[in-house]
Amino acid sequence: MKALHTAATGMMAQEQNVEVIANNIANMRTTGFKRQRAEFQDLLYANLRRIGAATSDAGTIVPVGVQVGSGVRTVATPRVMTQGGVTSTERELDLAVRGEGYFRVQLPDGRIGYTRDGSFERDAEGNLVTADGYAVQPGISIPGDATGVTISAQGQVQAYVGTDSTPTDLGQIDIARFTNKSGLESIGDNLFVETASSGPEQVGIAGDTGYGTLLQGYLEDSNVEAVTEISDMIAAQRAYEMNARVISGADEMLSSTANILR
Amino acid sequence: MENAQIIGLSRQVALQRELDVIANNMANLNTTGFRGETVKFEEFLMPVAEMDSFQRSDRKLSYVLDRGTFHNFDQGSVIPTGNPLDVALQGDGFFVVQAPEGERYTRAGSFVIDNTGTLVTLDGKPVMGEGGPITFGPDDVDIAIAGDGAISVGGELRAKLRLVEFDEPQKLEKVGENMFSGENPTVASTTRVMQGSLEKSNVVPVAELSRMIEVTRTYETVSNLLAKGADLRSKAIERLGTAPA
Repeated sequence: MKALHTAATGMMAQEQNVEVIANNIANMRTTGFKRQRAEFQDLLYANLRRIGAATSDAGTIVPVGVQVGSGVRTVATPRVMTQGGVTSTERELDLAVRGEGYFRVQLPDGRIGYTRDGSFERDAEGNLVTADGYAVQPGISIPGDATGVTISAQGQVQAYVGTDSTPTDLGQIDIARFTNKSGLESIGDNLFVETASSGPEQVGIAGDTGYGTLLQGYLEDSNVEAVTEISDMIAAQRAYEMNARVISGADEMLSSTANILR
Repeated sequence: MENAQIIGLSRQVALQRELDVIANNMANLNTTGFRGETVKFEEFLMPVAEMDSFQRSDRKLSYVLDRGTFHNFDQGSVIPTGNPLDVALQGDGFFVVQAPEGERYTRAGSFVIDNTGTLVTLDGKPVMGEGGPITFGPDDVDIAIAGDGAISVGGELRAKLRLVEFDEPQKLEKVGENMFSGENPTVASTTRVMQGSLEKSNVVPVAELSRMIEVTRTYETVSNLLAKGADLRSKAIERLGTAPA
């Protein structure tokens, strides 16, 4: 009986759906987090009576066939890359991107990571690093006696070094964008890496055409909305229950068959 | 004597198929753009014996045959997602996607841009515009899709989604992956496109559940009938079949 397996695929899909929702809710307060959504597709159909098959020599054909599907599968969990809200933190090294673009950070394994999380720090050498200590690219070093660090909307970093009365240029923070940003791979720690489907990075200056601008002293919140997630979760939970009912229905049918022979 | 069993069996087989269809509808409760299905049955009349020499003439027997699964093309509920490349259809139209086997039609409008800048479905099949696949450049931002499917980038018209309709939508065949295959598409005139939304499955869970209850109960009734028939036979053999020693 196919119904048992079909309903099982339904339960599995809903289970994954709830997992995705759980991860979204868990990251509700994660800086720069982008919510994911589970997307489903139906599986193959068995054509028990094919549409358009001839039913007589006179040329009459089957108008509607018998097609029995075999369930559902999760096809993708695309990230919804909409802008999250920005919250003021009043820290001079906190940055938010408004619009397109990712900060570039040097990963320990040599790759470049991309992140929307702009909560940067200074390490012991004065380098601008992420909360995990990965250097922001291109490297920016802030001298120990620098005060009043300002980062412009275009990513220009300036500070007053020592007793100077004019600010010194310390560098430029670049941002990267991708043709298919949903194709970036998440590697945890709020980081993404480039893949074949995201396309190569296009590095640019914030504020150029197609790139967003930077906002100093702010962090981007996650774009998870509690109401949406909860209502999605209720829908997933109910769908799971319904599929469980189908399994018990199929079970009942089979047991009544088994009971014919006593 | 066995006719009752066989007729009962034909009903049970048909009911199992109906449950399979219900199970598939239920499994796809949350599938974007999914269209539910219903099974229709017909009576299959067993031809009577031609050389009718029985004392009481041979009577017709009617078996149950599942004749067709009808696609239900009701509108599914449209939910906002906020993603600019999610599009929902309102009306009878379909999007056209280029599958390796040829053109396929779908109602699932969750699209993405791939690494070459082409608008594709989530499994990477190009979505067709009126002039072929739709591509975007790396600098394209603010993609807007109008009610008639016109796609503009930064206020400049770029392409138009190809939307088709069918004169006989029941003839469409489901091929999985949210797609239909069919012939002779015509230009959809009344279908509207909504950007930033997705059309959910049009399966109504309550209706499916009540159909399922009906199926399981009917199946049980037929099972009981079959059990009674088997009882009858075994009693008959018991009582009539004792050969005197």
